[in-house]
Amino acid sequence: MDKLKIIDAHERFSPDVESQWIAQAQQGNQQAFYHLYENYHRRIYALCWRMMADKDSAEDVCQEVFVQLWQKINNFRGESKFSTWLHSVATNIVLGHIRKNKTWIQRIFSIEEQIVEDVAIEMPELSNLDQKIQTLPERARQVFVLFAIEGYRHEEIAKMLGMAVGSSKSQYHRAKSLLRESLSE
Amino acid sequence: MKQTMTKEQKSEQYLRDAVAELPNEMTPERDLWSGIEKAINQQAQTESKNQSAKVFTPSAWAASVVAAVLLTWVTLAPQDKNTEQPFNLVAQMQQDFEQQKRTMLVSFGTPDVKQLSDAMQAELTKLSSAQKIISKALVDDPNNSDLLNLLRWTQKQELDLLKQLYSPQWQTI
Repeated sequence: MDKLKIIDAHERFSPDVESQWIAQAQQGNQQAFYHLYENYHRRIYALCWRMMADKDSAEDVCQEVFVQLWQKINNFRGESKFSTWLHSVATNIVLGHIRKNKTWIQRIFSIEEQIVEDVAIEMPELSNLDQKIQTLPERARQVFVLFAIEGYRHEEIAKMLGMAVGSSKSQYHRAKSLLRESLSE
Repeated sequence: MKQTMTKEQKSEQYLRDAVAELPNEMTPERDLWSGIEKAINQQAQTESKNQSAKVFTPSAWAASVVAAVLLTWVTLAPQDKNTEQPFNLVAQMQQDFEQQKRTMLVSFGTPDVKQLSDAMQAELTKLSSAQKIISKALVDDPNNSDLLNLLRWTQKQELDLLKQLYSPQWQTI
């Protein structure tokens, strides 16, 4: 059961089948692209949701990821796993969206203290940890999701979020201690 | 002190386990595919339109230039006709051009030009009329290299346009 849980979406299908879908989608085949969507959209949605802490925005950005994927799929040359490449495309789009949608007030003043409070009410089916992650301050949440869940290195996160490597590490530690605290309550 | 450390380590371990157990996937509430499908289809249509505009704008511009040049030519050129002069070169050029055009259309599966949009048919008509006017002007002045070049150029424009319209490379966009 546990083993089943950790099988990634992209491993449900043989790499050959996936390669065929990718090749066909690169030729403009929408049906093949739909198979890729069907295989990956829940993972991408999870990334969007955790990064944005808002269901509607996460759904919108998840759609945007796949629309852009359709345009960019020819850039995939098979040098890495498709899932890895897709995740990096999706992460960039999510971060771009977050940057674009910041109000001038959010840009000028610190965004550190923005905390999402109504997550548990909105999505009661979420795991306890997911609910706690959503209540973290924005920067700490983003760093935590990228480092602890998505597996990026602090150097990569620092680049993506436009911060120093040290800041990424300290945000991660801040997130961890806030989570430990709230989980022990 | 030792007890505090253990507590911290425990909570750290608890957090690590909780992260490892987080689901990789979440299911969105609404159907996202219909919106994606709509967006990519719209994109395809827009790209196709843009591509057509990119391809055909130069042709339209070229046809307009030809028309303007010819109008000036016909209006201002000397009218001393000399129909006795041979214009074999022009006839030869037109014959070669027709041959090239036929071969090209056959290679594209002999498409029906009348099925083209009105705008494209108008482009082809403009080029064809330009060729006729130039050929007429060459009857009066058969050795005029400018006119001969103009004729060659309009013929090339027509072939390029047909190529763009029927080449499979363009059809797939």
